[in-house]
Formats: sequence, structure tokens, C-alpha cells
Amino acid sequence: MPAEVKQEQSPSNATSLAMMQEPQEVVEETVTIEEDPGTPTSHVSVVTSDDGTTRRTETKDMSTNVKVTKMVKTVTTRTVRQVPLGPDGLPLPEGSSPLGSYTDSIDRRYMKNGGDRFITPQATSTLTRSYNNSYNDSYGETPESQYVRHYGLHDGYADLTDNYGSLSRGVNFRPPRYPYMPNSYRPENSYTLPIRKDDYGHVAQPQVPMGSSTVDLNRSQPERFQPEPYGLEDDRRSLGPEEEEPYELEPDYSTANRRTLQGANRGRTHREPLRDGPRVRGYPDDPIEAELIDERHPYIHGMYSAPLAQPERGSMASLDRMGGRRSPSIDSIRKDPRWRDPDLPEVIAMLGHPIDPVKSNAAAYLQHLCYENDKIKKDVRQLKGIPVLVGLLDHPKSEVHRKACGALRNISYGKDNDNKVAIKNCDGIPALIRLLRKTNDMEVRELITGTLWNLSSYEPLKMVIINHGLQTMTNEVIIPHSGWEHEPNEDSKPRDAEWTTVFKNTSGCLRNVSSDGAEARRRLRECEGLVDALLHALQSAVGKKDMDNKSVENCVCIMRNLSYHVHKEVPGAEKFQDPSALQAPGSAGPQRKKKDDAGCFGGKKAKEEWFNQGRKNGENDKNYDTLDLPKRTEPSKGFELLYQPEVVRLYLSLLTESQNYNTLEAAAGALQNLSAGQWTWSNYIRATVRKEKGLPILVELLRSDSDKVVRAVAIALRNLSIDRRNKDLIGSYAMRDLVSNLPSGQQRPAKNLEEDTVVAILNTIHEIVTDSSENARSLIQAQAIEKLVAINRTSQSARETKAASHVLQTVWSYKELRNALTKDGWNKSHFQPTVTATPKATKNGKPGYDDTTLPLMEKNQGTRKCGSGDMIPMDELGPDGYSTIDQRDKDCKYKTGDGSVDLTEREPLKNDTNRKHYIRSNRPAVSLVDACDVKPQPVDSWV
Amino acid sequence: MAFIPGQPVTAVVQRIEIQKLRQGDNLILGFSIGGGIDQDPGQNPFSEDKTDKGIYVTRITPGGPADAAGLMMGDKIMQVNGWDMTMVTHDQARRTLTKKKEDVVRLLVTRKSLEEAVKQSMSYPRQ
Repeated sequence: MPAEVKQEQSPSNATSLAMMQEPQEVVEETVTIEEDPGTPTSHVSVVTSDDGTTRRTETKDMSTNVKVTKMVKTVTTRTVRQVPLGPDGLPLPEGSSPLGSYTDSIDRRYMKNGGDRFITPQATSTLTRSYNNSYNDSYGETPESQYVRHYGLHDGYADLTDNYGSLSRGVNFRPPRYPYMPNSYRPENSYTLPIRKDDYGHVAQPQVPMGSSTVDLNRSQPERFQPEPYGLEDDRRSLGPEEEEPYELEPDYSTANRRTLQGANRGRTHREPLRDGPRVRGYPDDPIEAELIDERHPYIHGMYSAPLAQPERGSMASLDRMGGRRSPSIDSIRKDPRWRDPDLPEVIAMLGHPIDPVKSNAAAYLQHLCYENDKIKKDVRQLKGIPVLVGLLDHPKSEVHRKACGALRNISYGKDNDNKVAIKNCDGIPALIRLLRKTNDMEVRELITGTLWNLSSYEPLKMVIINHGLQTMTNEVIIPHSGWEHEPNEDSKPRDAEWTTVFKNTSGCLRNVSSDGAEARRRLRECEGLVDALLHALQSAVGKKDMDNKSVENCVCIMRNLSYHVHKEVPGAEKFQDPSALQAPGSAGPQRKKKDDAGCFGGKKAKEEWFNQGRKNGENDKNYDTLDLPKRTEPSKGFELLYQPEVVRLYLSLLTESQNYNTLEAAAGALQNLSAGQWTWSNYIRATVRKEKGLPILVELLRSDSDKVVRAVAIALRNLSIDRRNKDLIGSYAMRDLVSNLPSGQQRPAKNLEEDTVVAILNTIHEIVTDSSENARSLIQAQAIEKLVAINRTSQSARETKAASHVLQTVWSYKELRNALTKDGWNKSHFQPTVTATPKATKNGKPGYDDTTLPLMEKNQGTRKCGSGDMIPMDELGPDGYSTIDQRDKDCKYKTGDGSVDLTEREPLKNDTNRKHYIRSNRPAVSLVDACDVKPQPVDSWV
Repeated sequence: MAFIPGQPVTAVVQRIEIQKLRQGDNLILGFSIGGGIDQDPGQNPFSEDKTDKGIYVTRITPGGPADAAGLMMGDKIMQVNGWDMTMVTHDQARRTLTKKKEDVVRLLVTRKSLEEAVKQSMSYPRQ
């Protein structure tokens, strides 16, 4: 980077610019995840998502979305197939045998189903599956005829019903456990379990809870199910899936944001095996598709049975598509003319059916069909099914809007943004928000927020979501679940955050939308209670040491995004700019001096002094005073909380304790953002990080295995080093860790860091070395020259080459170090830019950076960099209006003055000279001003 | 007190047991520590060897648990509940001392007066 910069501009300027750029904030976000909401019990599952994070430049996330998928699978289907029924479809006969095995599973479902009502649904579902089989056959052979048959069959409700009943029991039950696993849905079925519930919807829910208790019920009914095979199969299946599901799901979630693809792949792979497993085990036999007939069901009556059956059949069909297997049972089913799966247009038409259960079943079936099937999603869209589903969101019956919401969640998941747009175009977003306001059903809320999370992954929808749902999501979900109270009641204990699925989904949605640029950030910052609640939630997480979950990750990412450019975007920010700059010089000096003194062991030997120096003592106060921080007449609230020094401790706690790389990256990114810029608060933040002993924490994270974490930390250190005292400390204590992350020649280090990270580290090193010959000496002692020269000469990356070149030029500019360098066998040629790389590459490179950085850095960044060492260039440039530079305080000014002088004198390097001069000039200034001690921060901790 | 990294250290130590005091949600010991391998040992006013990066007691709350247990300012902490404290970062030491699960900490500390006392006691017999 640096190299590029240089080229572009005058040498001196160039360097500074480069630095500026990078240092700027890093904000980003990632977000796009999708969601998934799966609630463990019921629906679905999720999957993976990716995030995109952006890094360098802008805040937004590039991240992509990921997907979430939820599926519902019906266990039943398979079971249904079980041959036992085969004969008539009346499976009943031997309930006894089946009962035994099935019982458990079955019972549960029944219980859940709630007996009568539910039973039907299940039954239906099961039927469908079996039907599906038949369906397939029919297609192969003569679709039409089959259809006909089906219809005809319907007439015989009695039979069907019976079948259903049996099926539902057997099937349902089995599935319930892990039902989803399934045969039918291969891969994702496992996840799908939840789905089943969805399908069954009502039933499922009840079932779940009932689960254990239900057993009894099942037993009672089991008679009908003969099929032990079913039971066994189901159980097996179910077991497999469930077991896997939990694990997979969570992992996916966690990873989802960051790396969707990976997550997805993982999920799939896992799932697939599962699916296959089941089949192998016993499926081949085929479950019996029993047919179930429930006499009990009221639904049974004609219409229902048909629709229900069909939907399920459809699912079966989908299964087949998925790669479903054909088990013998299927064949038998196929032969059965009575059933056929409804085709997609029929299902969509059923959404408008006058009977509510038909609607809900159709919606549930759609959800099932859409699970991880992009083709179906597209078809639903093209068949205009989405507006109908959105219309059902306002349906008074919870069954109906719940199922519709489930279908929308699946449809909204995935890379096909047209589906998301279609939901938005029929006013689906306000409808979802409306329903969120209206419903208290936790499952529905999960579905709504999951859908919104999915939608939020598409850039153009972000502002729409903000416009319609920001305050509602904040009021309905974020604030209540965060435990934050607007006006805390003294009597009540502060509440901890609840990491519910709803909160996770909603925070994921807000995380995504928070990356949509300055306007989005402004809206979120000004959303009443949002920042307060997020902070409360995070503090609660720190307090409970529960910092690795997805919700915390989402919250930290939102905070990071909202911290981006806070110094430029916050209302009233101007007030803190100039004043700080003016004061800064004066303040900076004092700060530094004081800081130095502050060490726990303090420069002074007297114990008393040492004690006095304790961080809690005067330092802070002094600094505050000197800084002239605005005084608060009342406790800060809302967006002001973003940049209060108190947040430093929160982020440092996260950095110390969290194991979640995304959280670590975001927390480091937040500090990076806050320490960027040249306003009063960033000065204060930089000092606070040091006083809170944050530098060692950050340095330790340079050893992280995560590329992103290393990069975020490196850039944060760069911004922090705008503070002179920080620069000295970082130079003394972080240099080896920084250098160890560099590749040696063409041989990448074990970590194999990405180009961006290597460049970030090089820029950080440049920042630290600039204006500090002591730090340059540390760099040499860390054996860095060999690596830098190797990168400069052999790196495949023009950006790495330039960045390394900048550092080398800076090092060579310190004449006092040349002796040592020469002794080590280096000569001037090693410190000059490679011919090829320097010239144009830099220019090209610079522009890119500049552009990206400019927006971010602008004033602040400029200042930062300037302050860090490049400040001088800025001055020379003069004008760029890096007024912010001033902030650097005394150093800057001094530097500039000195720098100018130096410049004239020193001209050693070509382009670099200017830079170098600056650097030197800076140094003097620095030394003059601070006379900084390179001593480590003193620490004195009460225990 | 000086030692060479990697080499066994011989020191006269005293065992001090401190019962933590509950203050609100916090358990406190009533003293502060300085030092650690991430700190500048040159600024430690208590160490004889200015390269000693050990953990030292820098302050004691009068009447606090540490004071009551006999801990003294300038004591070098060798172990905490069996955990080595001679080669740890400042924060590691702090965390070891402040584990919320533990109500009691047992310290092994060394101080100049201890060594002198031992020398004397050992020398007397000889005399």
C-alpha cells in the first residue's frame, strides 16, 4: 500500500496517504447472514450463511448472504411407505407389533398434535409422502391417469382417513423425533425435522412439548401401526438427524455470518450422510407407507383429506427430486391410484382455499417444498405465490400466518435475490413487521425475524427494512430481550440479556442493515434505545462470561458498524473536532508526559510515586482535564454511548474472553473505528485503551489463528499508535508479534495470512516506525529486515511489495541506524523500492486505497496518520485539509515545524526523502514533546 | 531473588492464606499487584534485580483481607494456589488471583526480610 501511495503522490505525501488510508477505520460488517431461524424444536434448520465482511474500506459489508433454510420434513412419509399398509393402505392391522417400537415416537407426536386436530395433519403429511411415491410413478407412466385416480380415491374418505390416522400416528410419531431425517429429504432433512412441525404445524408444536408424555397416547393408538419397521426406522432416522442437527445447526450459525459457503457446505455434507444413512439402515425396506386413516379427524372429510394429502405428496415428490429413493413401498404407493401429489399451481391455489386448514397446510407444504430447493422457490415466485403468502400474514388464525411465515422464510433464504425482492414488492416487509407487533407467539416471532434476517442480506432491501421495521424490532425484540430498562426501577434488579432465537435473528437482521452506509448508521444510532440495549446486552454477556454465541457476535458487529465514522457522522461531532485539535497540542503533550509517568512502576522509584501513578489516580483525571473533554451534565445515552471511554473496557473484555473469531474481529474493529480520527473522543479512547491495559491484549491477539482477527487487531494498533505513548509501547512490545506474522520471502508463514492482512501489518509497522527511530531499531532487532527485503523483492503482490518498500525506506531514512544495518550486510539498494513495483503500480495502487480510504479516513484518518508520523507530509501537502492533523497535537505541530526544516536538509532518498524528512522532523518533535519513555505501561491491579 | 529462566529457583517462602472478602458482586483480596513478564521490570521499585519480571505486591488495603493475613507491600508472589507466578503476564496473575470460584487463595510469597531471617537462623547454629 504504502508504495502505491507514494507513487501517486509526492513521495512524502504518498506515504502519509497510504498510511492514512489503512488506518482509517475498518469497519465493516458482515452480515448477511441468513438466518435461520430454526427453532430447535420445530422448524428447521438452518444453515449457513456467509458474511461478508469488508475490511478495509468501507463499512459496508460485502458479505453475502447466506442462507438459511428451513425445512420441514415429514417423517411420516417414509413411514407411510412402509409396506405394511401396502395391501390396502390400511395399515392398521397390527398395531400391536408396531406399537411397541413406534409407540414412543408416535406417542410424542400425537401428544404434540394435540390429539384430534393434530392427528389429521400428521396423517395427511404422511399420506402425502406415500402419495408422492405414487405420484412419481404416475409421472413416469401416466401422470394424468394417476391424478384421476387420486381424486377418485378421495371420495373414499373413510379409507383415506383411516389410512391417515394410521399413517399419521406411525409416521408422525417417528418423524417427530428426528423424523425429518429422512429418507425423503436427504440432505437437509435432518434439519428438516423442524419443518415437519411446520407442516404439521399445529400439531408439531403441541407434539413437541408433549413429546415424552405423549407416549402413552401413542401406545394407545399404536395398534394401528403395525409396523415395527416403521418405528424402528423412524427412530433410527430420527435419532440420527436430531443428534446431528443440533450440532450442525449451531455451528452453521456461528460460522454462517462469516463464511456462508463453508457453513453451507458443511451442513450439506453432514446432512447428506445422514440421509443416506437412514436409507441404508432400513429404509430400503421401505417403510411402510401406511396409510393412515383417522376416523377421528374432523378434517378427514373430503376436502381436507385431499389437500392435505396432496401437499404431502408434493413433499414426497420433492423428495424424489432431491434424490429421493424409491423404496419398494413407493412403488406400491405409485400403484395406488388414489393419491397424487398436488402440483405447484394447485398448492398455490390452495393458499386461497376458503378453509383455513387447507391454507395452512398448503403453506406448510410450500415451506417444505422450498427447503433448499431454489428451483421451487423460483417457481413459487413466478406462479405469483409470494403475494398470496404475504397476504396470509394478516390472517387472523395463527395457524395460517405461522405457516405462511414459515414458507416465506424458506423462500427468502438463498442467493436468489429476486425472491427477496418479490416479498418486498408485495409489501411483505411491512406485513411482517405488522405481524411482529401483533403476535406474541414466540414461534411466529422467530419465523418473522428469521425472514427479516434473510431479507436483510440483500443490499437494496436494507433501507426498506430500516424504514419499516427498525423501531419495531428494537422495541419488540431488542430492548425486551436485552434486559435493558429505559427507566430502571430501583427496586428491580438489572436483568440479563436473554439469548433467544428471536433476539439472535433480529440482531442478525440489524447487523446486516447496519452496514448499509452512513444513512443506515445514522438511523440506527438515532433509534431510541437501540444502542443502550445492545450495550446492556453485551455487558450482560461479559458479566456472565457468555460471549461466544451468535447473538453476542451480532451485537458486537452492530456496535462496530455504528462506531464507524462516528467522529464524522454523529450530530455535533464538529464541536469536538476543532477544539480538540486546538487543545490537542497542548493536551497531547501533557497527556503523554503524564502517561509516561503513569506507569505502575512509574519512571520514579519511590513507592509512593508508584502508587500515585496507579492508573486510577490522577492520570485519567489529568488527561481528561487536559483534553477538555466535554463535560456531561447528564449520563450519556443513545449513540453517545458508542464512543464513551467506558466502552473500551467492554471491548477489551470481549477480546480477552471470547473464543468467537467473529466477535474478536468485531471488537477489535470497534476499537479501530473508535481510535480513528482526530476528534476529542478518539484521543480519549486511545488513551483509555492504554490505561485499561488493552495494548497487551491486542498484541496477544496478533497470534490468533484467524486471519481476520489478526488484520483487525493490526489496524487497530495502527490507529492506536496515533497516540505517541501508544506508539512507543506498541513499538517496544508488539514488534515481534507483528513481524512474526510476515511471510518470509515466498514462503508463507504457518498462518498463511491473506494479502490484506499482510498489507495491514506492514502498514501498521510503517506507522509505528515512522517518526520513531527507537521503534525502527526494534524492528531491526526483530529480524524484520530480511523479511521485508524478501517481500519487497519477491512478493507476488504489488500491494505487499509497496507496503514493505515503504517500511524499508522509512527505516533507511534513519541515518543513525545505517551503521547497524550495514553491519548486518544490508545496503541502500535493499531499501529502495523495486523498480518494477514502484512506479506505476504504486499509482494504481494508491488510487484504489485512497478512494476507499478517503471516505473513511478523511479528516480523521488523515489526522491519524499524520499524527502517527506521517503527519508531516500532510503539513507539507498542506492543505489537504487534514485539519485533523492538528489533533495530533503538539507532536504534529512540532513535527511539522521540524519536519520542514529537516526536509530541506535531508534529501537522501528519492521519493522517500520527503517522507523520511517528515519522519525525522516528527521524531524530534516527538522527543521534544514527550520525551516519551519507551517503558512499558505500568500496571498496578487491585485484586 | 535473581534467577535464570529455566533454572530452578531457591527462595525462602512464606505461605499466606487469604480469605476473599465479598464486596457486592466482587470478591476482593485487598491488595494490588505490579509486574509480570509483559511489564517493564525496571520500574519495579521493590525488586532488587531490575530484570525480575515477577509479580509484586504494590499496595495493601489497610485492614483488608491481605493485610489481615500478613501480606506485605513489596512481597514477591511466587505461587497462587499452586500456580506459578514467576513467569506470567500481569493479567494472567490478576486473573489467577481473582477467580470467582475460589474464596480462598493460598500464596507463596518471598521477601527480603524472610531470607535474612533464615540466614540468621541458619548462621546462628553454626556459630
